Amino acid sequence: MSLIRVLHAEILKLKRTLAFRMIFVAPLLVATLQFFAIWNQRRFSANFNLWETLPKGALSIWAVFMLPLLITLETALINGVEHGEKQWKQIFALPVPRHAVYTAKLLVAQALAAASTLILCALTVLAGLALARLRADLPNTSAISYVWILKYAAFVWLAAWLIISIHTWVSIRWPGFALALGAGIGGTFFAIFAASARMGKYYPWLLPVNVFTEGRFATALLMGAAGGVIAAVIGCVEFVRRDVV
Amino acid sequence: MQKHAIETRGLTRRFGAQLAVDDLNLLAPEAGVYGFLGPNGAGKTTTIRMLLGLIRPDAGEVRLFGAPLAAGHLSLMRMVGALVETPSLYPHLTGRENLEVARRLLGAPRKLIDDALGIVKLAQDADRRVREYSMGMRQRLGLALALLNKPRLLVLDEPTNGLDPAGIHEMRDLIRHLPAEFGATVFLSSHLLSEVEQIASHIGIIHQGRLLFQGTLAELQAQRREHLIIGANQPERAMRCLTAAGWGARRRDDGLLTVSAATRDAAARINSLLVNQGLEVFHIAMAQASLEDIFLTLTNGRSEARRAA
Repeated sequence: MSLIRVLHAEILKLKRTLAFRMIFVAPLLVATLQFFAIWNQRRFSANFNLWETLPKGALSIWAVFMLPLLITLETALINGVEHGEKQWKQIFALPVPRHAVYTAKLLVAQALAAASTLILCALTVLAGLALARLRADLPNTSAISYVWILKYAAFVWLAAWLIISIHTWVSIRWPGFALALGAGIGGTFFAIFAASARMGKYYPWLLPVNVFTEGRFATALLMGAAGGVIAAVIGCVEFVRRDVV
Repeated sequence: MQKHAIETRGLTRRFGAQLAVDDLNLLAPEAGVYGFLGPNGAGKTTTIRMLLGLIRPDAGEVRLFGAPLAAGHLSLMRMVGALVETPSLYPHLTGRENLEVARRLLGAPRKLIDDALGIVKLAQDADRRVREYSMGMRQRLGLALALLNKPRLLVLDEPTNGLDPAGIHEMRDLIRHLPAEFGATVFLSSHLLSEVEQIASHIGIIHQGRLLFQGTLAELQAQRREHLIIGANQPERAMRCLTAAGWGARRRDDGLLTVSAATRDAAARINSLLVNQGLEVFHIAMAQASLEDIFLTLTNGRSEARRAA
C-alpha cells in the first residue's frame, strides 16, 4: 500500500517537468534519424528488407546511445527535484517507509525508459510506413515485423535495468546534476572503447546493445536484469540506513 | 501525572570529534508550546532531526507520547507534522499540488488540503506555482504541509527565519493559536528569546549541545535578579576597577556596565570607588534583569566553564 501511495505522489511530481517531455523527444530524434538515413539512400539492393533494417537500426542506436543518455537524464531529473530544496528531510519525516520511496523512484525510472522505448517502436513503424509510401522503389515493404520489434524492445529494456539501478542510486546518493550527468556521459562514452574489448560483454552501458550481438545475448539479458535487481537492493539498503543531515 | 508529547533520555549525537548533542533530557508537555532556545550551532537542528528520526542518536532514546521512536517510527510519524529549517517545496508545482503530493504520501482525505490552506490563509494563492511565491508564502505553505494531517505534535525549526516583520507577526499568531484551536503540542526552535517568550509556555535552553534550563516561562522569569546599571566615561577602566574590587561586572552593547549588586548601599560604594579612581559616573540605576540577560548569563556561563575546563 505504501508503495502505491508513493508511486501516486511520484507521478504528480513529474507534472510540467522535462523528464516527462523527454520520453517523447528522445525516440523522436532516433526515429527521425533512421527515417532520413534510409530515405537518403540512392538505390536499394533487391534483398533490402525495410522491416529488418529500420527497426534493428533504430533499436541499436537507441540501445547503445540514446537510452543510456535518457536514463541518465531521467534519473537525474526525477531525483534532482528532491535535492533542490532538501525534500528528503520532509519525505522522511512522513509516515512512509524509506524502502518504498526508493523502490518508487526506481520503478518510475524503469517505467519512463519502457514508455520511451515503446514510443520509439511506434515511431519506427510510422517511419517505415512513411518510407514505404514515399520511396516506391523500396523492395520488401509489406510484412511489418511487430513481434520482432516488441520482443527486442523488451530485451533492450530488460538489459538496461542495471544502468537504471546504477543511475538511480547515483542521483539519489549525491545532490547536483553534474555528478549524475558525468556518470552517464562517462559510462556511455567509454562504451565506444569497451565495445571491441572482450570484457565489453560485461560492461553495464553496453548490455542493452549486446542483445543484438551473437554470443553476448544471454549475458546481456541475465546481467542486465538480474544485476539490475541486485544493484537496486544494495542501493535501497544504503538509502534506508543513511542519515539525513 | 503530566503527559509528555516529547521525552528524550540521555540523547547524544557526535559528528566526528564534535559533540553536537550531549546527554539531552527534554520534557515537552502535551498541548503547550515548547520553545527550544539556543544560539546558532547550539544543537537545536540536530536534536530536531533525532526527534523526527532523520538521524540516529549515538546514545539515548526519543519517546513521543510515551512510545519509543526507534520501535514505532512510522506509526508515531502519523501524529507528527514538521517544518525543518526552510520549507521543502517543489517549485514547479502549485501550492495545492505540493499539498497533494504530501496528501498522497499520507493517504489522507482530499478535504484536508483546503483545511490546511484555510488555516495558513493561502487559499487564494493555492493555484499559483510555488516558484512565484514570496518567502512568507513559502513559509506558510511549509506550515500547511506540517499541519496537513492534523498532527498531535508540530515540530517547527526556526519557523520565522528569513521573514520580514509582518511575516514574523503573522507566523507567530498562527503558531500561538494552534494548541487552543487544534489541541496540538508545538515544539518550536529559535535562537531569538524575544520570539519564543511571546509564544511559549515552556522553555528549554540549549547551548553547546547541553540543556542549561528547562521549565515554564514563569520559572525562567523567576530567575530574574535586580542589578545595577552603571555609566562611566571610561567603561573598560571602570570594569577593571570593579572586577579588582570583587564586583561581578559585564559590559553591555550600549557601553553601560551591568553589576551583580542590588542594594542602595552597594550603589553608593560602587559610585565612591569609581569616583575615587578619577572616573566620571554619569549614570547609576537599579534594574531587573531581562530574560535576554538570563539567557546570556546562562549561555556565557557555560562557554566560560568549557574554556576553563
